[in-house]
Amino acid sequence: MTPKVAAFAGAIAIVVGLGLAAAILQASESRAAGPGQVERLLYVQSAKTLQRLSLGFDALIADLYWIRTIQHFGADRKSSRTTGRFELLYPLLDLTTTLDPHFNIAYRYGAILLALERPEGPGRPDQAIGLLEKGLTSNPDRWQYAYDIGFIHYFYTFDYAAAGRWFDRASRMPRAPEWILPLAATTTARGGDRKSARDMLMRLQESDAAYIRRAAERGLLQLRALDEIDQLQALVDTYAADHVAQPESWIDLMNAGVLSGVPADPLQVPYVYGPATHRVSLSPQSPLAPLPVGLGRQ
Amino acid sequence: MSTRRIGLVAWHVLKQNIRDRVLYSIGAFAVLLVGASIVIGQMTAGQDLKIIKDLGLAAIELAGVLMSVFIGVSLVSHEIERRSIFNVLSKPISRWEFIVGKYTGLVLTLVMNVAALAIALYLMLFWMDATAAEPVRRSWEAPATDPRLLISILLITAELALLTAIALFFSTFSSSAMLSAVLTAGLFMAGLESGALRQFSQMVDASAMGRVVSAVGWIVPAFSLFDVKAEVVHGIPIAAARIWLPIGYAVVYATVAMTGAVLIFSRREFR
Amino acid sequence: MMASIVRTEHLTKDFPAGFWRSRPHRALDDVSMEVGAGGVFGLLGPNGAGKSTTLKLLVGLLRPTTGFARVFDRSPNDPKSRERLGFLPENPAFYDELSAEELLAYFAGLCGYGAFERHERARRALDLVGLSEDRHRRLRQYSKGMVQRVGIAQALINDPELVILDEPMSGLDPVGRHDVRQIILQLRDEGRTVVFSSHILPDAELLCTRVGILAKGRVVASGSLSDLTAGAARGWEIVVDGLTDDAAARLGGRVRRTTRISDRRFSLELPAETRPEALVADLAGSGASLVSVTPLRATLEEFFLQVSK
Repeated sequence: MTPKVAAFAGAIAIVVGLGLAAAILQASESRAAGPGQVERLLYVQSAKTLQRLSLGFDALIADLYWIRTIQHFGADRKSSRTTGRFELLYPLLDLTTTLDPHFNIAYRYGAILLALERPEGPGRPDQAIGLLEKGLTSNPDRWQYAYDIGFIHYFYTFDYAAAGRWFDRASRMPRAPEWILPLAATTTARGGDRKSARDMLMRLQESDAAYIRRAAERGLLQLRALDEIDQLQALVDTYAADHVAQPESWIDLMNAGVLSGVPADPLQVPYVYGPATHRVSLSPQSPLAPLPVGLGRQ
Repeated sequence: MSTRRIGLVAWHVLKQNIRDRVLYSIGAFAVLLVGASIVIGQMTAGQDLKIIKDLGLAAIELAGVLMSVFIGVSLVSHEIERRSIFNVLSKPISRWEFIVGKYTGLVLTLVMNVAALAIALYLMLFWMDATAAEPVRRSWEAPATDPRLLISILLITAELALLTAIALFFSTFSSSAMLSAVLTAGLFMAGLESGALRQFSQMVDASAMGRVVSAVGWIVPAFSLFDVKAEVVHGIPIAAARIWLPIGYAVVYATVAMTGAVLIFSRREFR
Repeated sequence: MMASIVRTEHLTKDFPAGFWRSRPHRALDDVSMEVGAGGVFGLLGPNGAGKSTTLKLLVGLLRPTTGFARVFDRSPNDPKSRERLGFLPENPAFYDELSAEELLAYFAGLCGYGAFERHERARRALDLVGLSEDRHRRLRQYSKGMVQRVGIAQALINDPELVILDEPMSGLDPVGRHDVRQIILQLRDEGRTVVFSSHILPDAELLCTRVGILAKGRVVASGSLSDLTAGAARGWEIVVDGLTDDAAARLGGRVRRTTRISDRRFSLELPAETRPEALVADLAGSGASLVSVTPLRATLEEFFLQVSK
């Protein structure tokens, strides 16, 4: 075999080999996510132990754990498992923030992930608040954490009194923006309404962290969907009043000239009309589902 | 005959390494580490068996990685630097026979060392088992001299065989032993965390860079595949595929690395 | 006519440019030469002329950029071309942790010898270079001269027809150099072909039948040693003692130059035509005695300096 032929054959063998190796890797990884695995282990459970083991490379290892956190969230988000979803999210975030108590994005985005309702996330606003409170212990001047806690109370636990208290506290922290003060006031006064929520989300949209901007945008789209559902419901009720009978589907409304087409949510997924319930709702397939409960019909 | 020459080179590697003091230091370090774990074990309520197993397996893996990197690199890079390779290559031996012989010798060396460390670990576990009180023994999640530890050790050996092939690959073209060692160690660490790279495209918005990074994650050797330490220590059953797939991966990837090494070494010139 | 054992044709070797060099470094430029079987061929030239590069090209450690080399009518890339060949690199280094006998047995095994024969050959080779007593000591403990001798031993381990030695005398003391010279002569007497490179010309003069001279990567001369130095004597130098001043003055035109060394000792330079015997006989008649007679021949060194310009 001449050197050139050998080199060519070798190159082909290498490419084929890498492909084969990747295929084996894929097979092995997909098995790991399957039902065969009963328990997932966090090899080091205690944050203190991990600190001691880190030998001074705390910040670097915090980065590694942050990567693991995102991986874990992403993997569970995509998997179809029903038990133990996101069970390691809080421990991983706890480890990350113990190793690096100033890991800002871990606190803020971690809290967002923890608060996300099932099945998108673990649905643990209590853990989210706990994480942010931990952040405040090491970073007492970060008004954003106090603000985030208020936001979580507003959106997920519907404890408007607590939300107001936290907004108030945030407004008194150094460098807090002026718009928090009125927010504190209206929250305490009005309780849960979409206008305040919209205001809060628009503020969050101005954050310089991309993750948070995207979370805020999604929230705003959800609010818009809620508004649209209310409007569509009003159309349905009007139709029912005019025609005595309830509409059977969107077609009836289109035939009546009330709608020009099948209405869709801000992400182009058609709204669902239940002929039995006569109620308009968001399609379960929509990426915006589930909509925030506490800001229902207003 | 090719096999005879390959065998000669391999045997020579074994002889070289048996006399190499670095090897003994690494082995001594590993044994010391496990011995220290016994001391630590006294301090943590009832967890000593788990700690000794954890530390023992970690020490075997770490010692093996150090050996793979340093010896793998010195096999060729060092010889090129010292120019002792001129004499061998001027004999009627082909370049590929030389490289394959080096690899075989090194893998044999590693297997011998891992076996020695494994025996030391099992002796320690046996002693623990013999001296433990009955209630303590009943609290263990897995038996002290659990044969399942061998599964982890087997996968560690496969991991080391793969790492060695990569060390050899780098040392065929890099001109300095230090550079080869750094490249090998770097690729090893990247391979441990390559899962994050593979998921990259899912974590960022669809972009060319995201796809490139993910692709890199699939190509980089995935050393995390071989880690079943946690499972064996806790006595969790391991599926057969969890053993054979990583071994298959190591075989395929090591072949890829060796093919590359042979190709490059065949064209290598020596000033 | 026997085919040549070593042949190069238009052999050119470029080394890639360094980071800041714009052009590759041309180490060999269109080198064509032939070495027939038997005899000692000296590859000579100053440092950096390309001697080592040429030898490495012959054993496959380097590959030509253009042109080719043939050893036993095979390409140096073919391992079979090295079955009957022995090579000693310049400033050799070996595996320190092995003993001399282990090293040579290893190499003998690579050359195809069986388990028992390997050690036999190792012992014989070490005997030849005078290292029998130290054969079980680790190479780490060897002096430079001993390492060089091990190098020669390993080059001979397979009874090679062709022995290639790169600067075999380097780093040796006079005794060592004498030994190496003896070995080379012995190899020649055994009918082997020896090719060695050196920048020490007197050694070449003593050993070589044919030489090739390289300078800056090119062949500047090649051929048999005697042809190149045009063996005819340029003249003679005689040193006589007890010469009186008159006698010296009376020598006249027969002597090209007279130099007084001490009170009555003179050095006389005679032209080639003058027979020294006749002059000495005459001088003896006037009481002078002969100290030495030396033929003045164009040395290889003079020739070399001439062609290197």
